[in-house]
Amino acid sequence: MWIAAGLLATACAAPRAPAPQATTAPEAPATVPTTAPAAPAGGKFTYWGGLIFSDVANKMLVDRITQWGKEKGIEVEVVMINQNETVQRVSAAIEAGNLPDAFDAGVGFMLLLSQRNVLEPVGDVFKEIGDAHGGWLESAAKAVDPAKYGGKIYGVPFGTSGNVLYRRADLLEAKGFNDPPKTWEELGEMAKAINDPPNVYGMGFALSNVGDGNLMANILQAWGGRIADDAGKVCTIDSPETRSFLSWVTELWKAGVFPPGVTTWDGAGDNTAYQSGQAGFIANPGSVYLNIKENDPELAQNTKYSALPAGPKLRIVPQNPNVRVISASSPNKELAKDLFKYLADDQFMEAYYNNAIYGPVLNSQTGFAIFKEGPVHIGLLDLALNGTPPGYPDVDNAAYNEFNTNFLVPKMIQRVVVDNVSIDDAIAETQSACQAIYDKYK
Amino acid sequence: MAEPIKLAGGARIRRRGMSLSQSEGLLGMALVAPVVICLLILVAYPFVFAIWISFTDRQIGAEGSFIGLGNYAYLAGLPSFRATIVNTLVLVLSVQSLKLVFGLGIALLLNQPIRGRRGWRGLILLPWAMPAFVAYITWRLLYAPQGGAFNMILIGLNLIPSHADFLSSRELAMPSVILATFWRGFPFWVISFLAALQTVPQEMYEAAAIDGANAIQRFRHITLPGIRHVILVVTLLSTIWTTNSFENVWLLTQGGPSDATMTFPVLAYFGLQSLRIGEAAAVSVAMLPVFAMLALIAVKMLQRD
Repeated sequence: MWIAAGLLATACAAPRAPAPQATTAPEAPATVPTTAPAAPAGGKFTYWGGLIFSDVANKMLVDRITQWGKEKGIEVEVVMINQNETVQRVSAAIEAGNLPDAFDAGVGFMLLLSQRNVLEPVGDVFKEIGDAHGGWLESAAKAVDPAKYGGKIYGVPFGTSGNVLYRRADLLEAKGFNDPPKTWEELGEMAKAINDPPNVYGMGFALSNVGDGNLMANILQAWGGRIADDAGKVCTIDSPETRSFLSWVTELWKAGVFPPGVTTWDGAGDNTAYQSGQAGFIANPGSVYLNIKENDPELAQNTKYSALPAGPKLRIVPQNPNVRVISASSPNKELAKDLFKYLADDQFMEAYYNNAIYGPVLNSQTGFAIFKEGPVHIGLLDLALNGTPPGYPDVDNAAYNEFNTNFLVPKMIQRVVVDNVSIDDAIAETQSACQAIYDKYK
Repeated sequence: MAEPIKLAGGARIRRRGMSLSQSEGLLGMALVAPVVICLLILVAYPFVFAIWISFTDRQIGAEGSFIGLGNYAYLAGLPSFRATIVNTLVLVLSVQSLKLVFGLGIALLLNQPIRGRRGWRGLILLPWAMPAFVAYITWRLLYAPQGGAFNMILIGLNLIPSHADFLSSRELAMPSVILATFWRGFPFWVISFLAALQTVPQEMYEAAAIDGANAIQRFRHITLPGIRHVILVVTLLSTIWTTNSFENVWLLTQGGPSDATMTFPVLAYFGLQSLRIGEAAAVSVAMLPVFAMLALIAVKMLQRD
């Protein structure tokens, strides 16, 4: 009933505005040659952008799209939505039949949407943008690989996000650790060395039911564990590698290196812990960097950044390219493609990346100064070039995404460290819950 | 042809073969129709729609097909679902009991001629007037293991040796959610009871006092019967609100740790994250029999009175 009421409320939302009159003359020529499609058929061109932690970057995106609208002589509405609410907002809009013309999404969500035929294939504009900018980086191209999406390309990547490891260099160097940890086990030892509760806890990694908690699934994979088999059909959580991983986490938990509250941290838990000086290590896409650079220069000075370390079997550094997609129901598909080309302009993207914590997606972007100078951006370039595709080594399919949205790996850890369930029982429960999810997609 | 009928105010209608009562009945139905239509659209349609899709494998963007009890069977097999049933019952029963006891107690107190009564009555409304988001974020900060007010006070008073993990320990998570939920919701009970108490005739208390009834007897035989209807209605409404409340659990614990505070709305939210709207609807519809029973009991009791 909550769902139906929400969907109905959205359906009852005000309809799109009537067709606007073309009033404004173009203020400046586009920096990238674009075609000039007709005025929007729906009366107004609507774009939903994903809010990020930089107000400057958010404003830049809105201004750029607004400028594009002016140049085309069309009315444009840009709505910036919290990225944590993208799924709910888009879901309600699909049911109500009022999707925006185009919007930002993560590749996982794009996968789910592409299977429901609500997205327009964008292979032509993807190729056009790639050709104009020296080609797509392999990570970006793989993220929208048609092989995963029924033979079509549904998204145009615009920025790679992913976790960078933050470490308190001042505390670590005082203990003789001058280099970043190469393995998770090494990181665990470093965390123990600097652990000084209640002032500082070594491991500021969420073990809760939020997106950050799924870092644990990546560490499990680095241990050699797998969520499912190579076909992406049968769950394989119950393995010696998972036991080994879970034993490692449990041992660290017992050593007291996790800050209190990590099993119920919200999405800002690691931010708060690190910014208040209470965490020795965190994995964060960049919001903490922006915050401490602005508000705590001393902590920023004492912080060093590196790529996520390797596990005993693999080094998993998940790339998470963000994409722009077009609604299949949009009457303004050509306009949307034109906008995507306009937004891919190198001059704009260089200024945008200076403020947004994203790694590059196009070859022409890798030479931007920020990817040579910015400490976090250097890590993001490395992530874009050397990271691992979403889901790797597992098959990044709908079942895998549902597995993650149910936070089954952090919940498995919670069963052991909170409920004192044995490692074997926790794994058996998770295996069962995981298989139930995968069975739905057979 | 029937004679026109003169109505109050001088208006005339022609009966055209209808009796006056039939004409008035038609007029009444016509006047009520917009409200009924609105209710059908805004209440009945989502209600029936939710029940229907709970029997389908519908996903966002795809119609889906009828699968009978498939979603319910899947949910029944989930450990999270079983924990959800228990947690929801514990949360609702505990919170409602606390609200009833404290709500009634405070209302009785504020019904007495105490100093600054008006001020207290205004003050009591504050938790309810505060946006839920702000209220629960504040409680989250109060519960924080490091720097949280509760820990600082308890450690400062040497009542606990080290910080308590209010939201992250299995033993304390649910009591912590219960306390915050109670705090946020009890003013509604106080104000409702206070209003009801003021309708109980003072003469009855005076007569009972003359007959030698003590305070407990007056409460039991005059006050409680006098506000019985209000207690029933408030309990029913608040039970439904509490069962449906999402932000209290989501903002404090996201249903954790380890499903210790997982409730129906949070579980439905997780279902919606994977766009499986049929499954998410089944979670919410699963509580329907409980609500129906509560409503039935309340209506029966009101009718009996």
